[in-house]
Amino acid sequence: MKKQSDIEKRVEETLNSVEGIQRATPAPWLFARVKGKLLKAEERTGWEVVGSFLSKPAVAVAGLFLIMALNGILLLNQQSGGSLSAGQTEIVPTDSESLIASSSSFDFENLVQP
Amino acid sequence: MNEWTLIEKLKQGDEAAFKTIVDTWQDMVYNTALGIVQNAEDAEDIAQEVFVQVYQSVSSFKGDSKFSTWLYRITITKSLDHQRRKKRKKRFAFVRSLFGEESEVVVHPPDFHHPGVALDKKEDAATLFQAINQLPENQKVAFTLHKIEGLSYQEVSEVMKTTVSSVESLMHRAKSNLKKNLSEFYKENE
Repeated sequence: MKKQSDIEKRVEETLNSVEGIQRATPAPWLFARVKGKLLKAEERTGWEVVGSFLSKPAVAVAGLFLIMALNGILLLNQQSGGSLSAGQTEIVPTDSESLIASSSSFDFENLVQP
Repeated sequence: MNEWTLIEKLKQGDEAAFKTIVDTWQDMVYNTALGIVQNAEDAEDIAQEVFVQVYQSVSSFKGDSKFSTWLYRITITKSLDHQRRKKRKKRFAFVRSLFGEESEVVVHPPDFHHPGVALDKKEDAATLFQAINQLPENQKVAFTLHKIEGLSYQEVSEVMKTTVSSVESLMHRAKSNLKKNLSEFYKENE
């Protein structure tokens, strides 16, 4: 087994290994490649931008939850729609109105005479 | 041409100004991204993305901070996003492999060798970079900016939008975590 002092020495050497490190440089023609990327970005149509936005997992999942929530709300509204809500009044036809409605298609004038 | 003139010209869409900006700051952006993602190809992609974003959003740069500070922030955000995406992909591939689905084979990357390290320190630096990769994000960023990019604590605090004492604390924790990880490594491997 290694001595603790040897390990500590190795650790210190390793920590100091980046002292005086030089900056790394990218491959040449970075500007040309950046320009290429910019042109590509400009060529994207509006639909491509919308498509790539919607295809992001976070957006897709959020959209799915929104649709499910809206469905749930609509369903609940439909179920409670049978009973009249407060403030609503039911319009009941008066006797004369219902008579007109029911007899109009059976007017004596329209009946085929034998 | 000074920094502000360049930025004003870039805001007007001057291509020559943009080229000067890329040529002036490309090493800084690339080296920072490389320190975080530890992969030359990925760092190159990130550097390109950073300058694309600079071109597209330079109008939002109000000059509250130095231009280089703004560039560092974009680079760090993009590098960390890249790393998170990579980790997510790895986890997803692992989960898929558990269900027996065919997936990309998870390959452990080879040791990262930073091109700016002296030849006689290459092996030690590769071990150190492995340990840096195990650090929490904010410690990793502080350590990279200070040790790899050579920024002072004051400059690191400006980039990270925090106080100098917070940076000191981050560096202290980063160093003690690195010491712990490295001594475990040497106990097992030497």
